[in-house]
Amino acid sequence: MIKITKKNKSNIIRISVFFFAIASFSALLIYALSKNMVYFYTPTQIIKNEAPIGSFIRVGGMVKKNSVIKSKNNLKVSFKIHDLEQAINVSYEGILPDLFSEGQGVVMTGKLLNVNTFIADEVLAKHDENYMPPEVADMMKEKNKEMYKK
Amino acid sequence: MITEIGNILLSIATSLSLCMFSTVFVRRIINVDKILLFSTVITHVITFLIFISFCLLALAFLSDNFSLKYVANNSNISLDTIYKFSAVWGAHEGSILLWVFILSVWGSSIALFSNNIPKILVVDMLAIMGILLLFFLIFILLSSNPFDRIFPIPLNGRDLNPLLQDPGLIIHPPMLYIGYVGTSVPFVFAIAVLMNRKIELKWLSWLRKWVICSWVFLTMGISLGSWWAYHELGWGGWWFWDPVENASFMPWLSITALMHSLIVSEKRGIFISWSILLAILTFSLSLLGTFLVRSGILVSVHAFANDPERGLYILLFLTLIIGSSLLLYFLRSKYLVFQKEYSISSKEFILLINNLFLTITTFAILLGTLYPLISSSLNMGKISVGAPYFNFIFASLMLPIVLLMSPAIYSSWKKTNYKYLTKKLSIILFYSIIISYVFLNIFYDSDIFIVFIALSLAVFTIFSSTIKIFQNIKNGIHESFLKNIFLLPSRLLSNLLSHIGIGVLIIGITISNYYSIQKEVVMKKNTEILIKNLSIKFVDVKTKTSKNYSSQVGIFDAFSNDKYLLSFFPEKRTYNIQKNIMTEAAIDSNFLRDIYIALGENLSNDSWVVRIYYKPYIQFLWYGAALMILGGIFGIFGRNKLLKNIKNDP
Repeated sequence: MIKITKKNKSNIIRISVFFFAIASFSALLIYALSKNMVYFYTPTQIIKNEAPIGSFIRVGGMVKKNSVIKSKNNLKVSFKIHDLEQAINVSYEGILPDLFSEGQGVVMTGKLLNVNTFIADEVLAKHDENYMPPEVADMMKEKNKEMYKK
Repeated sequence: MITEIGNILLSIATSLSLCMFSTVFVRRIINVDKILLFSTVITHVITFLIFISFCLLALAFLSDNFSLKYVANNSNISLDTIYKFSAVWGAHEGSILLWVFILSVWGSSIALFSNNIPKILVVDMLAIMGILLLFFLIFILLSSNPFDRIFPIPLNGRDLNPLLQDPGLIIHPPMLYIGYVGTSVPFVFAIAVLMNRKIELKWLSWLRKWVICSWVFLTMGISLGSWWAYHELGWGGWWFWDPVENASFMPWLSITALMHSLIVSEKRGIFISWSILLAILTFSLSLLGTFLVRSGILVSVHAFANDPERGLYILLFLTLIIGSSLLLYFLRSKYLVFQKEYSISSKEFILLINNLFLTITTFAILLGTLYPLISSSLNMGKISVGAPYFNFIFASLMLPIVLLMSPAIYSSWKKTNYKYLTKKLSIILFYSIIISYVFLNIFYDSDIFIVFIALSLAVFTIFSSTIKIFQNIKNGIHESFLKNIFLLPSRLLSNLLSHIGIGVLIIGITISNYYSIQKEVVMKKNTEILIKNLSIKFVDVKTKTSKNYSSQVGIFDAFSNDKYLLSFFPEKRTYNIQKNIMTEAAIDSNFLRDIYIALGENLSNDSWVVRIYYKPYIQFLWYGAALMILGGIFGIFGRNKLLKNIKNDP
């Protein structure tokens, strides 16, 4: 039998507080992480139906030449992005980043409306003319390899 | 010529830092005074050599010496002189050189200001500093040498990244680096203490000043970075939970925890081995940050130079340093225990909880930052962890800490009279809640629960700290109120000012976050738009050319009740060399709000996309940061001399 002395009691409180804290922290972390993970898809994967429709995802690719259509009176924009193989349509309402232009790599977050239309909430195009978002760079590298094999 | 001299200087510094480290092997054999003299001299020489090579690089930039690859890639004849100078640390190679230079300066400062601690400890600290210097110098020489040549020599350079051509960016990186690298001081202290198997409480008060010092610089660096992002990125945001921001924020959180645990260790002799562990972890996080930024594995505005080889080298060093210091810690930490007893009704316990929360927050941010990397390297899919994760985690872990600030201020060491404390604080809390509630209902007619909570806690912290200050003035030993102000203990003042700063910061964050008005619209010339109580008229767009860019400048007039107030001139710049487009927002600030106008793209002849933001209380961010920094400065310097003078002259 362990005697519950005053000292023991305060130790028990201390340890249980600590455990309770750790447990609730872990729960909090796992919950927040699982709620906020966003998966990345390529246009090919989307056309192949691998991406979930209607849930929050990230999509990357190159902006197709001559595909950007801007409205004159509001901020609506539509364009196509491709990964050398497949292309999908993107529509967006908002201000495009300064570095957005045709032929450039972009990464977007948003939702799929259907198998080939993506509604973007946010469009990112990065810093300078030599830079490509890593996801897009990786994707293009793989595509190039596959093409050489063929 | 510069290449040779630079390389020779750096090589000498490298071999000297090996000598500096080698004192480890003879520390027990040779007289400690002699070794200390040896290490001290070598440290200063290394600092001097690196300083000279840094000056050489600066000279190369100022004299447009494009035979250096680094200069050719990051400068241009038409660049402003001040930016030619700041371009020295504008990209990878130069910023690593700056990093090493700062490291050597911290080393020299240890050698200069360590009269209060035993010589053998200083010798060991310098030896560890030596190995850190050795690593970074080898890194520079092997893979990031700013003195590399380029053939053929270009006639003109490729220009500095336009994003970096901003006054804020001149001092942001050095400040941040001083803070970042400053975490090496507690690290080398921790290792030296573990090597000697012995610690004394007065050494901890020596260490505490160094920790506060690097905390101050880190705080300055981070807030300058936010300030820059707010002014320069054209999005009106100041914090994006970008991995690189996280990389600087994690050491900040962890050094904040260290600062608090050191107070307890120094005063009460407990949590010592925890403080030592935190010191090791903080520096590890700094190194990890360097790895994340420099390896190019991150998607970020900060990652300009990408080279996997560099990343691998830093990663190896990181593993080596963290691994060996943790091993040493687990073998030796048992020698550091002074006393274990503490009561749960004491200041120590509250500070323990503060440390728990800060550490968990650091861990949560680390998890969110690294998870995408881990997942993609294990082929578990390419994912990203969005800002909502960080916001949620941060708010839910930080608000309890803020709640605990006031009890921490009012409680006492060893044993606190909780009845008295609860009574006193519940009154202050009650008033804070009422004031926040009334404030929100008068000025903002919506009641978002989280805003209400955050605001109440912020006001609570500000009130309780301010009341504590007045209490101390009132109970001071002098009759005169003014003299008592000067007699306030600087430690208390430092503590209270920083906590008031946190409160002010929280007010700024919450209100500007939840009650901003953001309009992104297409405007035709000579039309008006109403934002809050101002009407903004789009007058015209003019073209302006400057030395290295041409820009389109929008002209907007603001009217309040048909009375002209002021004009805004937001710019859209196109830099000549890299053809980058940059948005320069026009901002009008006063105490209570910012009006922020940025020019978007030109849709047709006279219609432009325009962003207009109304951001209430955003200035409180900078005030809060300033108060925290001021508090830190009081913590470092104290006012003991001043205090003595007044005491002697009653």
